[in-house]
Amino acid sequence: MAGSPEIPLFDLRLERDDLDAVAATLRSGWLTMGPRTAEFEERFAAHLGCRHVVAVSSCTAALHLAYLAAGVGPGDEVIVPAYTFVATSAAAVYCGARPVFADIVGMHDISIDPAEVERLIGPRTKAVVAVHFGGYSAPVDVLRDLCDERGVALVEDTAHAPSATLAGRKLGTFGLAGAFSLFSNKVLSVGEGGMVATDDDDVAALTRRLRSQAMSSGTWDRHTGRTDTYDVAELGFNYRLDEPRAALALSRFPRLAEEIERRRVLTRRYRELFAAVDGVDVPYEDESVERSSCYIMPVLVAAERRDQIRARLLERDGVQTSIFYPPTHLFSAYRDPAVTLPRTELAARREITLPLYPHMTDAEQDRVVAALAREVTA
Amino acid sequence: MTWEVPLTELTVTEDDVQAVLDCLESGWLTMGPRTQEFEAAFARWLGSPHAVSVSSGTAALHLALASLGVGPGDEVIVPDFTFVATAAAARFVGATPVLCDVVSPERPLIDPEDVARRITPRTRAVVAVHFFGYAADVDALRALCDEHRLALVEDVAQGIGAEVGRARAKAGTVGDVSTFSLFSKNQLSIGEGGMVATADEEIAARVRLLRSHAMTSGTWDRHRGHATTYDVVDIGFNFRLDEPRAAFASSRLARLDDDIARRRAVSRRYRELLAGVDGLEPMFDEVAGEHASHFAFPVLLAGRQERDGFRHALKGRGIQTTWYPAVTELSAYRGLGPLPVAEDAAARHCALPMFASLDEGRQRRVVEAAKTALAPS
Repeated sequence: MAGSPEIPLFDLRLERDDLDAVAATLRSGWLTMGPRTAEFEERFAAHLGCRHVVAVSSCTAALHLAYLAAGVGPGDEVIVPAYTFVATSAAAVYCGARPVFADIVGMHDISIDPAEVERLIGPRTKAVVAVHFGGYSAPVDVLRDLCDERGVALVEDTAHAPSATLAGRKLGTFGLAGAFSLFSNKVLSVGEGGMVATDDDDVAALTRRLRSQAMSSGTWDRHTGRTDTYDVAELGFNYRLDEPRAALALSRFPRLAEEIERRRVLTRRYRELFAAVDGVDVPYEDESVERSSCYIMPVLVAAERRDQIRARLLERDGVQTSIFYPPTHLFSAYRDPAVTLPRTELAARREITLPLYPHMTDAEQDRVVAALAREVTA
Repeated sequence: MTWEVPLTELTVTEDDVQAVLDCLESGWLTMGPRTQEFEAAFARWLGSPHAVSVSSGTAALHLALASLGVGPGDEVIVPDFTFVATAAAARFVGATPVLCDVVSPERPLIDPEDVARRITPRTRAVVAVHFFGYAADVDALRALCDEHRLALVEDVAQGIGAEVGRARAKAGTVGDVSTFSLFSKNQLSIGEGGMVATADEEIAARVRLLRSHAMTSGTWDRHRGHATTYDVVDIGFNFRLDEPRAAFASSRLARLDDDIARRRAVSRRYRELLAGVDGLEPMFDEVAGEHASHFAFPVLLAGRQERDGFRHALKGRGIQTTWYPAVTELSAYRGLGPLPVAEDAAARHCALPMFASLDEGRQRRVVEAAKTALAPS
C-alpha cells in the first residue's frame, strides 16, 4: 500500500501556540544559539532535577558527546544493547571505540541485562550504555552500582524516555550523562534535535564546547591577553540546535506531562484489551506504565507469523506498524559471526510496534486491537 | 550589546514564516516532501545534477570527504585562512589536514602554487574555499587536481552565488563535490543547515546514505509503505535537515539572486566611500567584487595592533566587526605552519558589516566611524 496509512504509527499535532512561538522566533531574525535555546535548557534541567542540560542537533550527537565526555577513545570498548536504534553503537565507533553487545533481560523486559554487562566488562571497557526501551526504565540503579564498582561510566540513552522515572527519579539522571531525542516521532519532538543532561560540570562544559567547533575564548584569552576572539584547542563539531527548534521545544514542553498521561491511558487500555487475546504478549508490567513515558506500544507475536501479520494489518486495515528494532549486531555494518544474543534475536523476530500517539481515539485503538486479534488467531 | 550596525542582519519575510508554519501544521517534520523540493530547487538553481541537504556546512564537509573515500593515512590540503571546520573535516574522517598558504593579503584565497608544493603520495583531496564570497582559482586547482588524480572539493560555505573561474561558473559546480552552509550568518540562512552538491551520482548516493545512519530505507519510505524494514550498511550519522528548515530554505532561495545583487551594490558603495582613506584597504578589487557573493566585506589594516585598535574604535561607535584567525593560530593546529601570507592576512584584516538590507545611511555611519578611527590624532 502506498500513501498514508489510515491509522499511522505516530502522528504529530502541533498547537497554535507552537506555531506562534516559531513564527515569533523567525521574525526576530536571531536564529542560532540565543535566548530560546538557553531557556529551553534551563527549563528541561529543572524538570529533570539535574544541574545541566545542553541542547544539541540530535540524540546521535548527544550520545557522541556523552561518550567523549566519558573518555571513550580509540581502542576502548562500550557495552551497549543491540536491541536499540543503531545510533547507540555508531556513536561509539565515532569515538574510535568498539561497541560490545549485551543481551536483554527477556521478553518481559527489553532492556540491557546487568548480568550480561557484568560478564562483558573488561579492561578496555570505558562505558556502559543503558537504553530505556520504549520509555520503560532499564535497571540503571543496579547498573550504576555495578559501573561505580568497576570504575566505568554509565551513560543513559534516554531517547525514548523524557520524564519517565525509576524510584521517583527522572531517567537520564542516574549515569554520568543522559542523551535525549527531539526527533519527529518522539514524545517531545521538534524535527531534529537532542539534549545531553548531566550533573557533572566538566561533562557539561565539554559538551557545550564540542557542540560548537570547540571554540573557546577562554584559552585564547590566556594566550594573547585579548578577549575579542577565540581559540580552538581540540576537535569540535557543529552539533548546535537552532532557535526556531528551541522555541518549538519550549512551547511544547508545558504539554509534555499531559501528553505522556494520555499515552499512559492508551497503553493501559491496550494492555487490558490484549489481556484477553491469546498469542499477543505485552512486555513490561502493568505497574511500570505509570513510570514510563510510553513512547511506543511494543507487542510480541509468534516469530514465524510476524511479517505476514504486519503486512495484513497494513493491507486490510490501514494500520501502520513498525519493528523496534532490527538488532544492531545483525546489520551488515556490525555483523560478527561470533556474537549471538538469543533473547535479543528472539524478541526482534517477534516484535511489532503498534500505533500510539496522544490524540489516538478509542475507536482507532479498538480497530488496531481487533485487527491484530483476528490475525493472531487466523 | 545592541549594535548600531550589526555585522549581519537577517530579513525574514512573511512568506518565509508562512512556509514554515504550513510545514509545522502538516505534522510531518523530517525527511519528507519539503526536503525533496528544496533539494530539487537548489540543484536547479545551482545547475548541479545532485543536491543533498544536511544539518550544517560542517556536516557537508565531513560527508563530502567521506563520500570521496578519504580516510586514515590520507592527506587533505586546505587553506590556512578559512573557518576551522574546513580543517576539522579532514580529522573527522581520520585524515590529516595539510595547511597551505594563500595568494596574497589582498587576495587571501588558496594559492595553487603552494598547493602544488604540498602534494605528496598521500594527498587525496584539495579543498578550495571561496572565502568571504570571493572566487578561489578553480581553473588552476582543477588542472592541478586532474594532473595528480586528486579530488577537488569546493567549500562554498561563504561563496554561494559567486561566479568562479574563466567560465564564470557558479561556485560549487567545478569541484567533484561541493559544500554549502545555511547557517544564520550566511547569504542563504535558515539557522543551522548545509548542502552537498555533486555531478557524481555515486557520491550523491553515498552522502544520502551516510547522512541518515547508512540505513537502506528511511522513516518517510516506511510511512508511505515503500519499505517495512532496513539494513545498516555502514557507519552513518544523523546529519539530516528537517522539514521546517527545508521549507524555510526553499522560500528564501527564491530571493537569493536578488539578495546577492544587493550585497554587490553594498560592496561597490563601500569601495567608493572608502576610496582614498589612508590606513585601510579593501581586500580584493572591483572586478573580483562583481563576481563575488559577498559574505562579508573584508578590509586590511597596517598591522595587528592597528587592526585591533580599529575594531575597538568601531565597537565604541556601535559598529560590529569580526575577523578570522588563521587555522595555524589555533591550538589544535599549531605547528602546521608557518604560512606567512595567511598569517599576515589574518593578523591585519577585519570584516565590516555586510548584508543585503544594509542601507546607505547605516553604511555611511560605518565609513564615518572608520575614517574617525583612522584619522591621525
